[in-house]
Amino acid sequence: MRTTATIGLLLVLLWGGISRLSAQEITFQATVDRNTIAVGEHVKLSITLTNARGSFGAPDLGGMMVVQGPFESTNMSIMNGRMSGSVTRTWLLTAAKPGRYTIGPAKAKVGGGTIETEPVVIEVTKGNAPRSGDPQAALGQQRDPNLFTTISLSRNKGYVGEQVIATYMLYSRYSNLQSVPKEMPKISNAWVEEVDLGEPRWEDKLETINGVQYRVAVLRKQVLFPQRSGTLRIEPFVQTCVIDRSFFNPGRNVEVRSNAVEYTVLDLPPGAPADFNGAVGELEMTVTAARTQVEVDGSVDINVRFTGRTNLKLLEAPVLELPGDLEVYDPKVVDRISVNAGGMGGSREFQYLIIPRHDGTFELPAIQVSYFDTKTGTYRTLSSEPITLEVAPGDGSASAPVPQRALQSDVQLLGTDIRHIRTGDLQLREQGKELFGSWAWTAGMAAPALGYVLLLGWHRRRTKAAQDVVGTRRKQADKVAQRHLALARQALDRNERDAFYNALSRALNGYLGDKFGLGPAESTRENIQERLSGLPDGTALAQRYSALITACDLARFAPIEDTPRGTLYQQAAALIGTIEQHFRA
Amino acid sequence: MRPTTLLLLCLLFVANTAHALDKAQADRLVIEADSAYAAGEHAHALALYDSVNTAFTSSGLLYNMGNCHYRMGDVAQAILHYERALRLAPGDVDVLANLELARQQVKDRVASMPTFTLGSWWARFLGGSDPDHWARRSLWACALLFLSLSGLLFVHHRTGRRVLLTLVALTLTGTLVSTALAYTRQRDLARQDEAIIMTPRVDVRSTPDAKGVVLFILHKGTKVTVLQEVNGWQEIELANGAVGWTPVGTSTVI
Repeated sequence: MRTTATIGLLLVLLWGGISRLSAQEITFQATVDRNTIAVGEHVKLSITLTNARGSFGAPDLGGMMVVQGPFESTNMSIMNGRMSGSVTRTWLLTAAKPGRYTIGPAKAKVGGGTIETEPVVIEVTKGNAPRSGDPQAALGQQRDPNLFTTISLSRNKGYVGEQVIATYMLYSRYSNLQSVPKEMPKISNAWVEEVDLGEPRWEDKLETINGVQYRVAVLRKQVLFPQRSGTLRIEPFVQTCVIDRSFFNPGRNVEVRSNAVEYTVLDLPPGAPADFNGAVGELEMTVTAARTQVEVDGSVDINVRFTGRTNLKLLEAPVLELPGDLEVYDPKVVDRISVNAGGMGGSREFQYLIIPRHDGTFELPAIQVSYFDTKTGTYRTLSSEPITLEVAPGDGSASAPVPQRALQSDVQLLGTDIRHIRTGDLQLREQGKELFGSWAWTAGMAAPALGYVLLLGWHRRRTKAAQDVVGTRRKQADKVAQRHLALARQALDRNERDAFYNALSRALNGYLGDKFGLGPAESTRENIQERLSGLPDGTALAQRYSALITACDLARFAPIEDTPRGTLYQQAAALIGTIEQHFRA
Repeated sequence: MRPTTLLLLCLLFVANTAHALDKAQADRLVIEADSAYAAGEHAHALALYDSVNTAFTSSGLLYNMGNCHYRMGDVAQAILHYERALRLAPGDVDVLANLELARQQVKDRVASMPTFTLGSWWARFLGGSDPDHWARRSLWACALLFLSLSGLLFVHHRTGRRVLLTLVALTLTGTLVSTALAYTRQRDLARQDEAIIMTPRVDVRSTPDAKGVVLFILHKGTKVTVLQEVNGWQEIELANGAVGWTPVGTSTVI
C-alpha cells in the first residue's frame, strides 16, 4: 500500500516535471569535439535533445565509420526551481581516407513534428595532422580552430549615409583565456561611432559553429555611416590572447587575425530635392514656438527638433527664411543622442532666438527638410506649419536701457531676380516696317516743300500783278464802269439830272481811260477819240463815244436834253459792252 | 496730280494692313501670353509671344521673350532677346537690368575696353522711344520749317519776321539733325555684325580652318562682333579686342 503511494507520488512528480519540461525551450544539436582529424584519429559526435521527449536515431554519417557507440546519457537538473533535462547520444567516428565528410542532419520526432540538426563538416587529412594539443602546431601556420575572431556586419549592403553596425567577436574553446587588445583596423570613407560596451565579457550562451561549441565575447561594436559609394572594406584586426595561464604556468601568447569584411555602399538615387539635408534613415521633425505674441525687442524661441535613427550628429541647422526686421541668432544645439547596439538614435534640437525689431504681423514660412527614407528607398520631405508672429509696438520700457538706435536703416537687398515682363500695350509694330526711308516718309518730307513751291508761285504772280498798275486798271475797268453805270441808273430812277449825267460821263471816261492806260489828266475827249480810232471798227466807236459825251456835256453845262436819259443810259452801256468785247477778243 | 498720289498712298496703306495675323489678334495673344507667364507656364507664354513675333515686333515683346527664356534657364537665348530689345529701345532700364543679371550667369567674363559713354540717358535720347521716333520728328520739323517759311511771305511786321526767321533757323537745324539721327538709327537697326555664342563651347582659332591654333575658348551667351566671313568661318572680335575665327553657325546674329 505504501509502495503504491510512493510510486504514485513519483509519477505525479515526474508528470509535473515532464509537463514543465515541455514548457521550456526545446533544442536539438549535433556537436563534434573538433572539425579536423587525421586518418586514423577519432572524432566525437554528440547529438543532444534538450527539454523534450522524443526519439532520434543516428544521422547519415557521410561515409565515416563508427568506432564506438552509441552511448546514451540522460541528464536532468533543477535550476532556480526550473527543471531541465537532456538526452545525449555519443558516437566515436573515424575515416579511412582523407577528404571532406559531411555528417547529415539527425532527425527527432517531438510532439507532432520533426526537428533537425545542422549538418557538420569534418576535414580528414592524411596522417600527421596537427594535433590540437601540440603547441608548435597551434602557433603560426594555420588558424587555430579553438580560438578565432570575426568581424560581422548587420547588413552587407546599404545606401551612402545609412547606418550599419560592425561587431567584432572573439570565439574560444580555451577555458582559461585573457585577451589584450592590440590593433584595431582603421576605416576610411566612413563616419565611425563606437558603441560603449564596457569591459568585454563572455556571453552567457555558447555558440555552435559547424558543430563545435565556442564561448563568445563581443570585443567591440561600431556604428558606421559610409560616406562614399562603392565598396567599404574593413581590414582584419589582430588580437593577442594569453592562454593556459595558471599559477604554475605563465601561459603562452597567441595572436589571432580576423577576417576582412566588405560592404557594398549604394549611391542615393538621383532626384534629391533641393532641401535634402543629407540625413539617411528615419527622421521626424517638430517645430514649436514658445509664443507667437511678442513686443518689439522681445524674444521668441523657435525650436526645431529632429528625432529618428540616422546620423543625427551630422545634421545641420535648417536655414530659417525670415522676413526682414526680424533678427535671428545662430541656433543653440541640444543633443540627446545615444549610440547603442541598435545604432545611433535620439534627437537633436536647434533652438533659435528671434528678436523682432519692428511691429507688425510676420509670417515665418514653413521649414522644409528632406531626408532619404531607407525603408521605402525614396526621399521624404518633412514640412512644418508656418508660424504667424504678432509683434506689438513696445512701450519703450524694454528698450529704454538700450542705446538709442538710428530710426532709419538701409534697405536690405535680400535677393536678385529679373524684372517682370512688360504688360499692357507693347506698342507692337509690323516686322521690318520703318518710317525712315519709306514712301510715306519721303512723301511727308516732300509735301511741305511742294506746298511751299506752289505757294511761292502764287505769291509771285500776285506781287507782279500788284506792280502792273495799267494792267490792273484795264482788268478792273469794266467793274469800275459798271459801278458808275449802276450809280447812273439809280440817279435815273430818282430823276436826279446832275447826278445822272455826272455818273454817266465818269463811267464812260473812266472806263476808257483805264482801258487805254491814261492818267486822269490825259483822259481828254480828244485823246480817247484818237485811241478809239486805233481799234478795228474804231471810227464808228469814236463817233458813238463822241455823240454820247456831247449829249452829256450839253445836258450838264447847258439846259438842253434832246435825247431821253433812258436812251442815253442804254447807249452808254451798249458802248462799254462793245468795247469790252473788243478788248476780250 | 496730287489727289491721285493721295489715292495711291491710301491704296498702299490698305494693302499693308492685310496680314496673316492682324493687330487685334496679336494683342489678344499677348494678353494670353502675359497671363501664362504670370501663372508660371513660361514655355507656353514663349510660344505665344513667338507666334506674335512672326508678324509684329517691339522692344517690349522681345523683352518678354527674353524673360521667358531666362525663366526656362536658357541664358544665351535670354541675352539674345534682351540685346534685340535693346536695339529697338536703347537705354531701356528694365532691359538693361535683366541683361545685366543674365550676363552674370555667362561663363566667360570679358572685360570691355573703356569707352566714353554718356550713360543710358544719352542712349535713350539717341534711340528715342521707338525706331520711328526720329523719322517722325524729322517730318514734324520739316512741316514746321516750310510753315514758317510760308509765314515769311505774308508777315511784314518787323518783330513778326524776326520771330519767324528764328523759327526757320531752328526748324532747319531740327530737320537736318533729326534726319541724320533717323538715318543712323536705321543703320543701327540694320546692323548684322553683333552676335551671341549659342553653342555650349566654341574653340576660337587663329586661322579659318580646323587646324588653326586654339587661341581661346568661348562659352554660350558671350557677345561677339563679327568682322568678316570666309568660306564657312567667321572672324570674331571680343569686347576686349581679342580676335579669332569660329565656324559659322556657332553664334546667332542679334
